[in-house]
Parts: sequence; structure tokens; C-alpha cells
Amino acid sequence: MTITEPVQSQTKYTGARIRRTEDPRLLAGRGQYIDDVTVPKMLQAAVLRSPHPHARITGIDTSRARALPGVFDVITGQDLAAVADQQPVIWFPIPEQRIARTHALAVDRVRWVGQAVAAVVATDRYVAEDALELIEVSYELLPVVADLDAALAPDAPKLYDDWPDNVSGSLTYRNGDADEAFASADLVVGGSFSHGRAFGCPLEPRGCIVNWDSFEGTLDVWLSTQSPNLARDLLAEVFDVPVHKIRVRTPHIGGGFGNKFDFYGEEVIAAVLSRRTGRPVKLLEDRAESFVATGHSRDQRLDFEMALSQDGTILGLRGTSYGVLGGALGTVGSGPPWASVLTSMGPYKIPNLELHLKAVVTNRAPYGSYRGWGAPKGNLVHERLIEMAARELGMDRAEIRRKNFPAPEEFPYFTGAIFTYDSGRYADCLDLAMSKVDELGWRERQAEARAEGRHVGIGYSFHIEPSGYGPSRILNLAGLAHSGFDEAVVRMDSGGKVTIYTGQINIGQGTHTIYSQLAADTLGVPMDDVVVVTGDTDSCPYTGYGTGGSRAATLGGAAILRASERLRGKVFRVAAQLLEASPDDLQIDSGTISVRGTSGPSVTTRDVGDAAYRRLLDRLPDDEMPTLEEVDVFDPVNMATSFGCAALLIEVDPETGTVSMLDCLQAHDCGTVINPMLVDGQLAGGLAQAMGGALLEELVYDEEARLRTGSFRDYLLPTATDIPPFHFYHQETPAPDIPGGMKGVGEAGTIAGVSLVASAIDDALTEFGVTVTRFPVTPPRLLEQIREATSHKEGSQ
Amino acid sequence: MKPAAVGYARAGDVQEAVALLSQHGTDAKVLAGGQSLVPLMSFRLARPSVLVDLNRVGSLDYVRDEGTSLLVGAMARQRDVETSPLVAEAAPLLAEALRHVGHVTNRNRGTVGGSLAHADPAAELPTLVTGLGGELLVEGPAGPRSIAAENFFVGPFTTAMEYNEVLTAVRLPRLPAGTGVAVEQLARRHGDLAMVGVVAAVHLGPDGSVDLVRLAASGVGPVPVRLHAAEAVLVGAPPTDEAIDDAAATVAAAVRPPDDIHAPGSYRRDMAGLLLKRAVKTAIQRSEASA
Repeated sequence: MTITEPVQSQTKYTGARIRRTEDPRLLAGRGQYIDDVTVPKMLQAAVLRSPHPHARITGIDTSRARALPGVFDVITGQDLAAVADQQPVIWFPIPEQRIARTHALAVDRVRWVGQAVAAVVATDRYVAEDALELIEVSYELLPVVADLDAALAPDAPKLYDDWPDNVSGSLTYRNGDADEAFASADLVVGGSFSHGRAFGCPLEPRGCIVNWDSFEGTLDVWLSTQSPNLARDLLAEVFDVPVHKIRVRTPHIGGGFGNKFDFYGEEVIAAVLSRRTGRPVKLLEDRAESFVATGHSRDQRLDFEMALSQDGTILGLRGTSYGVLGGALGTVGSGPPWASVLTSMGPYKIPNLELHLKAVVTNRAPYGSYRGWGAPKGNLVHERLIEMAARELGMDRAEIRRKNFPAPEEFPYFTGAIFTYDSGRYADCLDLAMSKVDELGWRERQAEARAEGRHVGIGYSFHIEPSGYGPSRILNLAGLAHSGFDEAVVRMDSGGKVTIYTGQINIGQGTHTIYSQLAADTLGVPMDDVVVVTGDTDSCPYTGYGTGGSRAATLGGAAILRASERLRGKVFRVAAQLLEASPDDLQIDSGTISVRGTSGPSVTTRDVGDAAYRRLLDRLPDDEMPTLEEVDVFDPVNMATSFGCAALLIEVDPETGTVSMLDCLQAHDCGTVINPMLVDGQLAGGLAQAMGGALLEELVYDEEARLRTGSFRDYLLPTATDIPPFHFYHQETPAPDIPGGMKGVGEAGTIAGVSLVASAIDDALTEFGVTVTRFPVTPPRLLEQIREATSHKEGSQ
Repeated sequence: MKPAAVGYARAGDVQEAVALLSQHGTDAKVLAGGQSLVPLMSFRLARPSVLVDLNRVGSLDYVRDEGTSLLVGAMARQRDVETSPLVAEAAPLLAEALRHVGHVTNRNRGTVGGSLAHADPAAELPTLVTGLGGELLVEGPAGPRSIAAENFFVGPFTTAMEYNEVLTAVRLPRLPAGTGVAVEQLARRHGDLAMVGVVAAVHLGPDGSVDLVRLAASGVGPVPVRLHAAEAVLVGAPPTDEAIDDAAATVAAAVRPPDDIHAPGSYRRDMAGLLLKRAVKTAIQRSEASA
């Protein structure tokens, strides 16, 4: 491809720091989240969850719960299984993988703490929760598989009796000759990297309202989801109801982070309860439930090694990524651990690869989607290993990275395993970050601190973010039972104003704002003239995947751009008739259309709308269909891979193992930047979540597979006081395969941030020789590492 | 997370609260600021039959100068106490410790008495009162009585109060002018209950040796621990690094911290000694600064 210099914006809105149009309502507390939605005659449900990690259900007595005044119905797994299929799985990246599916309510066996076993529907949630206490479940306890090692032990108890072991599936990608590369290498560095369980933890937990109309055979669903089309298709599968009989609407969503992409049992439970009672049923996940019922993620161990030559050239990478799945597969199956393998080479040219994936079931909650979707752990592999290599070789950390980047002219660049990166100027981005580290004076701050005996370090992370998931047929080939295209409708009405209909969902990332920017620029109308409608499968078009995979700006935006371009053509053709001019000679500015280069008469989009909808005679060209509407379906030929280089200034207290993050920056390239303020927000939010994962957040299971983190007292999200200041710098290398040139940015920070913290800690503790490999890095864990390094050093002296 | 049904009774004064508690028995609970009790009720981990609400008992919301001591009413809001000029002057360690209690929004509502009666061994106020040798004033059917801090906290979330007694105030000794104070904590995040914490107050005599020292640790056992052995090492001695190290070395034997998901007990034990050193040094610096 040709390398384009930063885009000089010719347009009004794209590239401008425009405040989000979505925010005032939400900031004023006037949003309408799922808990705010009420429908007539609605009942409320609650779910009884297993207190045991692994047990056979030998009996359930619901009679006392049924007798409680205010209770309408109580259902068990057997009641549910009579009308609903098992929960669907849509990702099958591993051929011949054993797919562990389960009903939304456990039928005869529970395999994780928190698995749903019964549900109550009552006049209100208080009564429903009272009734839960009256349900008596008899369990016969089974031996547990608490973690990865327990699952892989030779004599491990099995979660599924008809499996030979607890391995759901394995897969290997090979490219070149890894054995030869390692045999001939000057240096091999390796490590076992593990990331604890964490989850996206939106401040608004999940929820739904389902109204099953038995007369029409329809399901009317309110759902806090990022993927209403997927939910609709999967509800149709689970209940064998035609898709067109199901309507899914979304209210405002208080954070999504991927886990609201997935399809959950609660929407099925609510549907069954509604069908049985003939009443709409609301089922909200409360905060405590969210820790066991929203998809967990990140839980992985990655044993990898990297082969290099003396000059720092990477020769090979090999290793195994163990996905620690739960007691059943979530909607995306083993997708995220698979993506870790595919991103483990990161931005580096590594000719010889041998990459293994092993997906293992345990008595933990199911594994689901979380912003980054595997890539944060792929990033740990390449960024940890390249820093270890730099240390061994005595090379500068920037230099060794720069040495292994593909050059801009080498794109599109095939990684050796599935992904082809579309475009990139990696070295420029690295240089941008390094120059900002200098400008901000971090090296001086570090030197001064070290002179005072303090332990201050600078860390780096270079990341790639495969975004715009993805070409439908390639996704199908890779094992996805779903597509990746995006559809948009752009309509100008009889008054000349514009409405965009899209299947993308706003989860706080600002889609409504950027879609208005893109359409307003393309159509030549004021941004205020554009309304964006989302969140209703009856009125909005289909999106192949949903809002995930960093595709809202890239694919949703591209479809809107293309539809808007065609609509502008029609607007010009109608205007040409009104102006008695040629469409090719027209221009539009702020909704006023005139002949280019003249000061003659003009018409407005309002005139065009009137001509296309109402007073057509002599005004709408005879060969034009009435109305002004264009549909576009965009299915990319390749994904768009954005990239960035982050740096972090950190201080470690080696006596306590505590870490303070002092300052942070990220140089980033997501192609065309539609709105720098929103891109900054995406980067900051992602980095904050990664810092939580690096230092604070962990869903802790004990040796009995019981979850010990059941509230915000123990599951520690970073707050504003726990994150450093952020500085962001953009370079723009437009995506060659995406109209508009946008690349995704939603996951950048989460991908880069964990290895970033590790790199900074290592640098701060240079004198001890610590290499951080286990996350989160808690103070006791880090102190133990420091002490071990110290005693090792003393022992060797 | 909806609490089970609960009765509610509003007490107009302390005597009425005591009568209500006597009437409803051991399942009744006193409601003060609600910052710990209400979440526990939402988890249904606490299921009181009746809440006896003290929020209208205005006579318990005060901070009073008693000359050699400071008396803080049980219903005084933590934020009011934290920002009280009288507290800053008479018991600066109390103000310092309160800054570590939750977040400002919690302290606006949370009360001094509520935190003490809740008796969380990781919390700041029980540790502070233990360290300063304060006394807790309680009132029951037989009238008022006073309990020394070290006898008041008897286990995690358990105090020496009878079910029908109400905590009415806490009395803290006024420390001599020039006493330096410090609170050192290791918390995972700002505003969290600390994994381990130490409070210190140190006063130096005219010859520069320690003539008064008060030390206590939180998060190191079932109750806050007054570090008597460490105090004994320091008192009467010049506050050299060596003396402070010796004092810190006594901590390991004085505490038996539990393991939890945030830290193993051994970490807490080691850190208690380290924090003691840091707290004592800071307190001494401040003491010299104010002398």
C-alpha cells in the first residue's frame, strides 16, 4: 500500500474534538437503563444459584416457595428444558472440539458456584428473593476441579463423564520451522505467564424484560445487550421460534466491555417464566450475582519461549496457551484464548512459529468476552519475552522492538497464523512515544528519584489490535457460526433531515456522535440534522456480529459512509432537477445545494425532501423512485489492525511491594480519527481497565473452587485515584480496506496495559532483577518476588 | 440483593433505644449511619428483626472538650469529627485516622459510634481508640458504664456490650502538646479497609528521649492490637533507628494476622513491623516539628 501522511481534514466534523451528543442526558441522570424500563403487568424474577462448585442435583422441592403469597411461578431445570434448548455456543475455532453446553437452569448437575438451578417470578424482587430462600435443593457433592493444574492432573475428576479428560480441545498453528529456529538460536528466553480471572464488570449489571405473547407467538424483549441481532437469532434457536416473531430492543446501557455481547441464560429463563405466567417478566442481575453470572475472562496461562540471534533478530516463537474455561462453554467458547495464540507474535516479524492452544474445563464460571478478547494475553507473550531478550542481550528496549517490526512497505503482512495486518507504521509510532517520554522529562524524574534511593521505572508496551471483526467468510472458516458484515440505512425524510439506522449499539463509546459526524460530512448537512437510531431489531438493520471486535467505527462507520455517499448522489439528482442543472456541477454545504462556482439560486435538503416525498410533480426526476433512502452492507475484505506504543512511569516500594503509577502516555494509530476526544476516552478507559487487571482485579477461586470475591469489597476496580494521568498522541495511517480509513480503537488500552505495568515494574526494580509474570501483581506477590530475587543474588555472591 | 423484611423503631433518646433493644431482644440491631449494616442486610448476611434507629437521638451528636480528654458522641458523623477544629487541636490522631475511613461520602453518613460498635478488626477507629487507651461509654437498663478499649473489642465484629446496651460516646485522652502522630496503612486502593495499618503517637521529653508512646495495629488479628511491647522498648529511650528497629522486632510476636485473599498472614505480620517503623519515624518528625 502507499503510505499516507496524516490526513488533512477537508471536512467539518470528522477529526474534530466534538463532545458526545449522548452525554447530557446521562450526566443529568435522565438515562433509561433496563432497571428504569417498566412494561404493563410486569412481574419480577430472581434466580437461585448453586452454592457448590460440582454436585449432582438429587432433588428440588419448590412447594414452600410456591406457597409464598406474591409468588406466581417457580421453575427448575427440568421445567425449562421441556421448552428450551441448551445455551448456544457460536465460536468453534478448534476442529472437533468437545462443546460443553448446558441449559439456562441446571438440569441434573451443577459445575460452578453460581450456576442457576431454579427461578422464581413474583410481584416484586423482594418477594422473589424471599421465595428463593424457601426452595430446597438436595445436592450430592462431587470432587472438584479448581484450577488448571487440577484439571490436567492425570487422575483429575472429570466434569463430563463421557470425555476422556477435561480438555475441550487443542489446536496447533505452525509456520516455518520452529525446531530449527530454536536449535540455531543464539538466545532463547522463556516464561510462564499467567493472568488471573477478571471480568469487564460494567457498573450496570445485565438485565432483561421478556414478554412472551402466546396468542401471537411472539417474544418482545428488552435486553441490556451489545448484540440485539445475535440475541434474536439465538433466542430463535433456543425456542425454535421464527426469527421474525422476536423483537429485541435495548435501553441505555451502563457499560458493556464485551460481556454484554454474550448471550446468557437469564434471557431464556425470563422468557420461560413469561410464557408460563402470561405476563412480562423482568429479570435483573444484581451486583452480587454479577460476580458469578456475567462472563468471566482473562483466565489463562501461557508458557512460551522466543528464539533470537545475537543481534536481536527474533527467529522463532513457540509455546502453549492454556484457556482456563469454566464448567460449560460460554457464547464465545474458547474464542479469547484462541485469539491470544493468534496475537502472540504481536507487531514482530517472527518467521518460525509453533503455537499451541489447549482449552480446559474447570469448576469455575463460564468464560466469556471481555474487551481485548485474548489479545491482552497475546501481548503479554511478545512484550514480556522481547524485554527479557533485551535484558539478556544488553540491548535497548526500543531498539530491539524497532529491529523486528515489519517495514511499512511490507504490508499487508501475514503473521504466519490467520491474521494479515493491513497497514502500519510501527517504527514511527514507537519513535513518537519515545520522543514524548523525553519531552515529558520522565528520564530526569527517574534519575532524580534513583539518586534519592527511590525505585522509579519506565515501562513500554507495543500492541497491535486486530479490529473490525471481520470478513464474514473468513470468520466462518475460522469456526464462527455467525457473520461479520454490518448493515446501515441512511434516510433523508420529507423535511430534509437525516436518520441513520444501524445494528450497532451505544455502550458509552459514542457511536451516535461519530455516526452523525460521518454522515453529516458525507451528506453535507449540519450534524444537528442527523439522528441515529439503534437498539431495535424491528426498525434497525442487521449486524453480522454485534457491537464487539472493535467494529462500530470501522464497519458500522464504513456502511454509513457508503450509504451516505449514494444518498448524496440521489439528493444531487433531485436538486439538479429543481435547479435545472447537472448533478455533477452541484455542491452542498450545511444542507444548501447550489451550482459550484456560481452565486445563482440554491435549494435546501428540505426542498429536496419535499420533492422526493410530497410534491413530486415536475420536481422528482421521472426515473427516480420516490423517497430518499440508501442501504449499505459492508463486509470487509480484511480486518483493520491498529497499533500503538504506550509508556508508563511507575514507582515501586520494594519494602512493601506496592506500586504507584505516576504518569502514562500512549502514541496510537487507528487510521482516520473521527473524533480525537472519543479516541482519547477509549484509550484511557482501556488502559484503566488493564491497570485494574495488572494490579487489582482478580476473581479469586480457592482450592475448593469457591469464589472468594463476591463484592466490590474484594473485587477491586481501579477508581480515579488509582490511575495515573494520561497523555495521548495520534498518528493516522488510514486502513486501506475500510472506506473512510478508520481502524478500531476500543480495545487498545486493555491489550497494551498489563504488559506495560509489568515492564515498568521490572525497570523500577532493575537492581533486584525481577521479572513480573503473574497478574495481578499484588503487593504480597511482588514483595515475595523481590525477596526471592534478593536472596538469589546474595546466594550467588 | 434485597434485604429481608425488617421491623423499624425510631428511638427519641438513649433510654428509649435501650428499652426498644430490651423489648426486641438479641435479633434487634441499632441503626446509626448504616454504612456497614445496610450492605450486610442487602446481602442478607445480617437479618435483624428490628432496626432501632438512633438518627433522631440528637443528644449523641457532639464533640466535647473535657480538659484532659476529648469526648465524642456516638452519633457524631465521621466527617464532622474529621473537620472539627477541637478534634484537630485535642486529638489530631483521630482526625488523621478518619481521613482513611472509606470515602468522604461514607464519612458524611457514617458515625464514630457506628464504626466502633461494628468492631471490624481492620477498621481505623477501633485501632485508634485501642492505641490511645480510650474508653467506651455505654448505657443499658442498669444505667451507664465505661469499658476500656482493650476490653471492648472481644472478637471480629464482636464487642463487650450486652445486646440491650447502646454505645453513647468514646473518650480519648488528650495527649501532651507537641505529640507527633501518624497513621500508616497498606491498602489495595485509596479508601479500602487496609490490609494492615499502624497508628502511632510519640512525645519526646526535654532530653529528646521518648516519654510517651502509643502504638496499635489493625488487620493483624481478631481485634485491634495495642503494641505494648513495642511501646516498652521505646519509652524512656532516645528514638534512634536502632531503638525503632528493636521496637518493630517485637511486633511479630504480638500479632497473629489471618490469611485472606488480599494477603497472607505472614505479609501482614511483616508489614505491621515495617509500618510501625514508618509511623514512629513520621510521628517523631512531626513531634519535633511541633515542639
